[in-house]
Amino acid sequence: MMSVSKTTAGKTIDIVKNLPRITLANLRPNPGATKDEKRRGRGLHGGNRSGRGHKGERQRGNRPRLGFEGGQTPFYLIIPKYGYNADHSRRPQYPPLSLRRLQYLIDLGRLDPTLPIDLTQLVNGRGVTIQPLKRDHGVQLTDEGADIFCAKVNLEVQVASEKAIAAIERNGGVITTSYYDPRSLQVLIKPVPFLMSGEPIPKRLLPGEELLPYYTDANNRGYLSDPAQVQCARASLAQKYGYRLPDISADERFEMLAQRKDPRQIFFGLSPGWVVNMADKKILKPTDDKLLRYYGS
Amino acid sequence: MAASLLSRRTGLFFGVSKLNSFIPAVVHQIANYNPRPLWLNIKNPYIPNKESEKTPDWQKTEKYDRRLFGRYGRASGIDPAKLWPSHARLEELLAEEREWHPPLEVMLGNIAAREKEKAQKRMESEKTIAANMAKMPKMIADWKKQKREVKQKQREEKIRRDKLLAEARERFGYALDPRSIKFKEMVAEIEKEEKKKRKLLKRSKREEEQGLPTATAESSQ
Repeated sequence: MMSVSKTTAGKTIDIVKNLPRITLANLRPNPGATKDEKRRGRGLHGGNRSGRGHKGERQRGNRPRLGFEGGQTPFYLIIPKYGYNADHSRRPQYPPLSLRRLQYLIDLGRLDPTLPIDLTQLVNGRGVTIQPLKRDHGVQLTDEGADIFCAKVNLEVQVASEKAIAAIERNGGVITTSYYDPRSLQVLIKPVPFLMSGEPIPKRLLPGEELLPYYTDANNRGYLSDPAQVQCARASLAQKYGYRLPDISADERFEMLAQRKDPRQIFFGLSPGWVVNMADKKILKPTDDKLLRYYGS
Repeated sequence: MAASLLSRRTGLFFGVSKLNSFIPAVVHQIANYNPRPLWLNIKNPYIPNKESEKTPDWQKTEKYDRRLFGRYGRASGIDPAKLWPSHARLEELLAEEREWHPPLEVMLGNIAAREKEKAQKRMESEKTIAANMAKMPKMIADWKKQKREVKQKQREEKIRRDKLLAEARERFGYALDPRSIKFKEMVAEIEKEEKKKRKLLKRSKREEEQGLPTATAESSQ
């Protein structure tokens, strides 16, 4: 090929134009870029048993699975789980819901921001999949997509990161973290099969002593925390992340945004103890004194 | 909002001109998703015969009755009062709740007590650490002094031994073993002489002191 030193700046392009077109015949990989593949069963040394050894499971490709020790209880089963991995299967899990996905669902119309967005709504809109039997305790709000989030929602999740809370409140929305015990969670995510069973709506249990500090903390917008402290936390968060906190009371959807569930309530507008019948389209409420006291406590 | 959504979606597919003929003026959309239809089979419900022996036991339970009511409503012929727990069952539930689910205040109290205990333990340990740290300089000084004293003693002992050895060497003319009897006798002799000297020194000192006060008394007088 022509060396660059023989040409002046203007003539390079003319030369390149006049060169034959690039085809497979003109191309070659850099030396050392490719390596010849190992072909088994060829040649004097590669042939015969083709690198498989002599008879047995090795040559016949019938070796047992990794970790099998010939029937002896293998190492990975005999050593108990301890320390970091102890009780890992019993820990509460919270499948994530990113702000990006939330925005996506709202944009597509699968979630209605004019009504409070609950775990029921999320599952109805097929936004998340919750499996209470796999120790899922609800949904956690992650902050991926916090910069593009621009919807005003009344959101209720189980866990929320600080940045996600900031992103929601910056757009004039409201976020609450609340706890659902496993039975209530099953009722919440699949209301129709529950209502078909004819059971009275159970009352939501309070979180255990381990989770109670989380849900009484205003910084996490816990549902058991003091509303006054929540206001302070909103202001301080706005200052921390550097946005002006919009005034929700002046909003047109203030009543919807102010809607919050009672700590013992599972569904909006339905109290514990009521029986909802879908065949008759009627709600039955108990009148017995003791029952009312039990469900009202 | 829902209506506008629907019209927007349909507008995309069918075009605006067909909108009026296909869709009524008021669109009542309940869900934003397509829910699975609920085939309740209300026309021919199966309601088991409670008295007959042929019906399996599980169809005679309260739970099944509730399910029947849930599916068919009043047409199932079940008294709605049976849906809620009976008084006996209610007592059981209340007992369970009292045992396993303490009220919020109790739980908060427990948490506070635990936190307080932890904080107290931490405070105590920090106090002991602080107290010990305050003692540290003195303890270090004491220890250093002790070490120095021990070293000093050792050095003095060594010097004394060397002196005795030299003395023995001088006296007997050869390097005597410190453990032998001669050496020990020599040491005892030297000790005696030292004692005598000290006694004399003491006596002379005492005499001097006695003499001095009397001399001063005499001079003053």
